[in-house]
Amino acid sequence: MNFENLPAELEIKDESLFKFIQTAAKIGVWEYDIQNSSVTWSDETKRIHGVPLTYIPKLEKGINFYREGHSRFTITQVLKKCIENLENFDEELQIKTAQGKYKWVRAIGRPTVIDNKCVKVIGLFQDIDKKTCNAINLANREKQLRLNFEHSSVGMAMLDLGGTWISVNNSLCQTFGYTKDEFLKLKYIALSHPDELIESKKVLSNMLLGKLNNYQQEQRYISKDGHIIYAYLSISLIRDIHGSPLHFSAQINNLTSLFKNKKKVQTLLSRTKKQNSRLLNFAHIVSHNLRSHVSNLYMLLNIAKEDTPKLFENEFVPMIDEAVNQLGETIENLNEVATITSSKMEHLVSINLLEAFNKVLKTLSALIAKSNAELILHIVPTVNIQGIPAYIDSILLNFITNSIKYKKTNKAPKIEITSQYYENTVCISIKDFGLGIDLNVYGNKLFGMYKTFHNHEDARGIGLFISKNQIEAIGGRVEVKSEVNIGTEFKIYLQKA
Amino acid sequence: MKNINTACIIDDDSTYIFCLKRIMKTANFCNTIKVYNNGKHALDHLKYKMENQMELPDVILLDLNMPVMDGWQFLDQYMKIKKKKSIPIYIVSSSIDPADKNKLSTYPEVTNFISKPIDKKKLNNISSQLVN
Repeated sequence: MNFENLPAELEIKDESLFKFIQTAAKIGVWEYDIQNSSVTWSDETKRIHGVPLTYIPKLEKGINFYREGHSRFTITQVLKKCIENLENFDEELQIKTAQGKYKWVRAIGRPTVIDNKCVKVIGLFQDIDKKTCNAINLANREKQLRLNFEHSSVGMAMLDLGGTWISVNNSLCQTFGYTKDEFLKLKYIALSHPDELIESKKVLSNMLLGKLNNYQQEQRYISKDGHIIYAYLSISLIRDIHGSPLHFSAQINNLTSLFKNKKKVQTLLSRTKKQNSRLLNFAHIVSHNLRSHVSNLYMLLNIAKEDTPKLFENEFVPMIDEAVNQLGETIENLNEVATITSSKMEHLVSINLLEAFNKVLKTLSALIAKSNAELILHIVPTVNIQGIPAYIDSILLNFITNSIKYKKTNKAPKIEITSQYYENTVCISIKDFGLGIDLNVYGNKLFGMYKTFHNHEDARGIGLFISKNQIEAIGGRVEVKSEVNIGTEFKIYLQKA
Repeated sequence: MKNINTACIIDDDSTYIFCLKRIMKTANFCNTIKVYNNGKHALDHLKYKMENQMELPDVILLDLNMPVMDGWQFLDQYMKIKKKKSIPIYIVSSSIDPADKNKLSTYPEVTNFISKPIDKKKLNNISSQLVN
């Protein structure tokens, strides 16, 4: 709108036409008479401000309708310039209506000059709120889309109908190693893997012919430096409202690292399988050949002991005897360990916890009596766990025996056994008040092989290792809490039956 | 206690055979000991003896791991022979493989499984079992 030719006085011949124009276009007129210090607003101007038609405007109040900050500052400035420097103004600013709503308005003003002095300012006032808000929203949405496009971790692109790249995002550039400028000089098929070139051409032409609307496929591409890229392509043809093709839209998901990892895992798996079978072989060898030789040594020494007892009267032969015994024991331990390395999850049965404990306590009745052990059992008869009977016996036996073995010197052992449900497991707590273990020192070695923490003659160093392995083979886990000279608590979590 | 005339050892480990013979002697286990170093050797001889009505052993102590024909293969072939007299067979092995122990049940010819090392006590157990 060019207001250069706006008359000095607004003389309207047809009052009703004038009013119609104002209302239809949401344009109001206003006038500031400097000499009289009076302000006149047309009805539409009043409507835009949200004030009643009886409202009498004043300059100060008029300015205060403008939103604090940029809008108010600007209107004050341009009004001042208009009066002092005779400058026109045309600003898009925000006002706060009498109802408290913010509105975008266009404020236009020009000075009425008499004798080089401004005597009046007249102007127009237009409600442009809807248009402005829409424009702002659109701009924001466009910005969002652009940001999404740019920063998406998926490669995104647009191609023209000839298959040349028109727009590419950062991710795509990173994947292929080309800059944006380099991309725009290339055609889509330039990046195809040679084996997939023909297919790629067919896809694009089929989409243009209307035989295909979109296409998804794992694809191979060649990067700028000649490497193969494994990707997932999703491409579609975008048409206008009349159905004419506009351009192609493509998303290319770089799967190369995924692919490489999969290969790594496969290699690792096959290596592990080979190693596993080698270990099983070894276990078999231990299980048989070593045992045969140790058993021969045992027999020879026993025969010698009976036949020629004099042989044992020096220092060496008894030590050979002892060494053979220890060798035998080590092999036994290794056997125990070797047989529990495999998971037993398919062979689990339901076992009543209280019955299992009672059985074990009966087995240990002699030891319990001898050590004067006090056993407190708080297990509800309805608790059932999943496990293998032999393992459960072995586990319970080991922990209870340990609690008795590692009692405080000169004090009878006291053991508290409780069970409770924890999520879908049963937590069995075996708590003793014995010697305790310094977890700061032994911490994660606790369940290791051949690790002992006390100078007890019976400390084999393998019980906890075997028990932990057995617990884990039946899908459970074990935790420990301990303080030296206070006691130890083992918490065994097993699956609920 | 000597109620066993001939004991038959089928094993390839010479040290073990030496020890076992000695222990059998001190335990007064039997009169005669016959040794075969592998299953085939034993099978051929036993077959021959059966066919010619010769004297057969009163007990067989059979090892599992042997060359040429191992314990299980021996048993497979032995089961096929028509026998007038059934000889008690004890499998003696240093194997602790539970698969081996489970296989026992499929061989009714086998009386029991004994693990090495053998001592006097184990031999006496065999003797007393054979009385019954």
